[in-house]
Amino acid sequence: MRRAGWVVLGVLVAAAPWVVAAVAPRQQRYIVHVLIFTALFAALALSYDLVVGHVGSLSLAHPAFFGVGAYTAAILATQFRWPFLADLPAAALAAAVVAALVGVPLFRLVEHAFAVGTLGLGLVAWIVANNWVEVTRGPLCITGIPKPTLGGLAITTLPAYYWLALTALAGVGLLYRGLTTFRLGRAFHAVRDNEPLAGAAGIDPRKYRMLAFTIGAAIAGGVGALYAHYLSVMCPEEMTIALTVNLLVIVFLGGVGSLRGVVVGAVLFTALPEVLRLAPTWRLVIYGALLLLVVVRSPGGIESLLRRASGAGAAR
Amino acid sequence: MALLEVRGLVKHFLGVTAVDRVDLAVEPGELVSLIGPNGSGKTTLFNCVTGYLAADGGQVLFRGHDLTSAPPHRVARLGVARTFQQVSVFPRLSALENLLVFLQQHQEEHLLARLVRTRRVRRLEAEAIERARRLLDLVGLAAKADAAAGSLSYGQRKLLAFAAALMPDPELLLLDEPAAAVNPTMINQMKDHILALHREGRTVVLVEHNMDVVMDISQRVVVLDHGQKIAEGPPEAIRRDPRVIEAYFGR
Repeated sequence: MRRAGWVVLGVLVAAAPWVVAAVAPRQQRYIVHVLIFTALFAALALSYDLVVGHVGSLSLAHPAFFGVGAYTAAILATQFRWPFLADLPAAALAAAVVAALVGVPLFRLVEHAFAVGTLGLGLVAWIVANNWVEVTRGPLCITGIPKPTLGGLAITTLPAYYWLALTALAGVGLLYRGLTTFRLGRAFHAVRDNEPLAGAAGIDPRKYRMLAFTIGAAIAGGVGALYAHYLSVMCPEEMTIALTVNLLVIVFLGGVGSLRGVVVGAVLFTALPEVLRLAPTWRLVIYGALLLLVVVRSPGGIESLLRRASGAGAAR
Repeated sequence: MALLEVRGLVKHFLGVTAVDRVDLAVEPGELVSLIGPNGSGKTTLFNCVTGYLAADGGQVLFRGHDLTSAPPHRVARLGVARTFQQVSVFPRLSALENLLVFLQQHQEEHLLARLVRTRRVRRLEAEAIERARRLLDLVGLAAKADAAAGSLSYGQRKLLAFAAALMPDPELLLLDEPAAAVNPTMINQMKDHILALHREGRTVVLVEHNMDVVMDISQRVVVLDHGQKIAEGPPEAIRRDPRVIEAYFGR
């Protein structure tokens, strides 16, 4: 029964463009666009949750890695005519290298100091994107980023891009699961829950923090590349603190440290503001009220609601 | 050759000398207790040996390895296990997982092997689970294997932390007040566990305030006062030592 439910959900998600076309043909473009954003945000939020949820380091620098990846892909694709399949890994690698470099000094800071340090990094990255005009074109944005091609297959239509984003999300989801369960996950959680004791267990806390931080950054960089190719424009505004706030909302109100919670959070908090456009005047008021409601009624996020709903014992 | 050798160890805190040129040698298979009034430097000594505090002077040698400036995880991986005075577990992991964490770093640490779960890693995991279940059984927590460690009682957490320290089969075990703040039945249980370890030939150093436990099980007792070693010897001699009596009761 449960399994059947998942299969139906999976089919619905995979067939979403057709479903949308059948249900609301005139709005298909818009709705599929929102779905693409949702998938990309879900992948980005999962990469963020590796750091915040699983090793418990409140990083506010995630937009920096997203931006490094997006700009790397944008520049390589426009200036150097790199194909998508080459600039995507390059974007992930560039973000990972930046994370590995800044992670060394940043992880000498703890808790609040770490959060503030990463906030500084996020701001610096944004300022660089805005002012290093020779490379990023600053506020003029990098334009004309080509649509991606996979081998001979050009991703030009919205449904095709949706399936690309969905595949990316599935890949990130698998990686996330692999990293956060079994021995790696246990080591991450040990560091998060009790760092001194983790040391006594033979775990090098800084190594595992760096690992989550760097992999999280690599994924964020890859998502940045997908994002830049999708919009075909990359501007500094895409990597402001507003993105951090979005990610915080998705992760903390979805369910910190939970694959399902984060994905549900991404769906709700990306799609919801769009749905609420139906009531433009009250849109942000309703959104804010819903955020408050979730925080007050279920501080553990939507995930803890889902767990309660599916029976306290059976869930997990 | 001594298994653990501490030479002239010094540790200052803001002008207070917490550990003052302490020498200590522990032979393989010994059961040694470290006693002394509150603030005499016992736990500080433990923390310097296990890498939680950087010593200001002196040297710590374990099987010839210099541990003086090694971080905790390296000390642990060389085969030195410790418990903490304030009972310390991973509250959100299950009791079983708490034990597994303590073995896995000693078995393999290749991250990619862990991520793809090679056959070798899965076999090691199965072995670790088996060992963890045996140890849970030993300390009487078999029924709690899947309970979150944070949901256990104080005494149960103490036993769990003890079992966790045993997971990697350590050569040297440093126990910080294993009998403190638990009920008399549990104290006897702890005593039996420690004696059993001793019979197995394991080396144990104990920081303990409960004199009955110390005098009952130790082969040798080392007394610290104001950071200095003031006496050392078999329990009977320590009990009568005038310097020890003075340190504890004053003149």
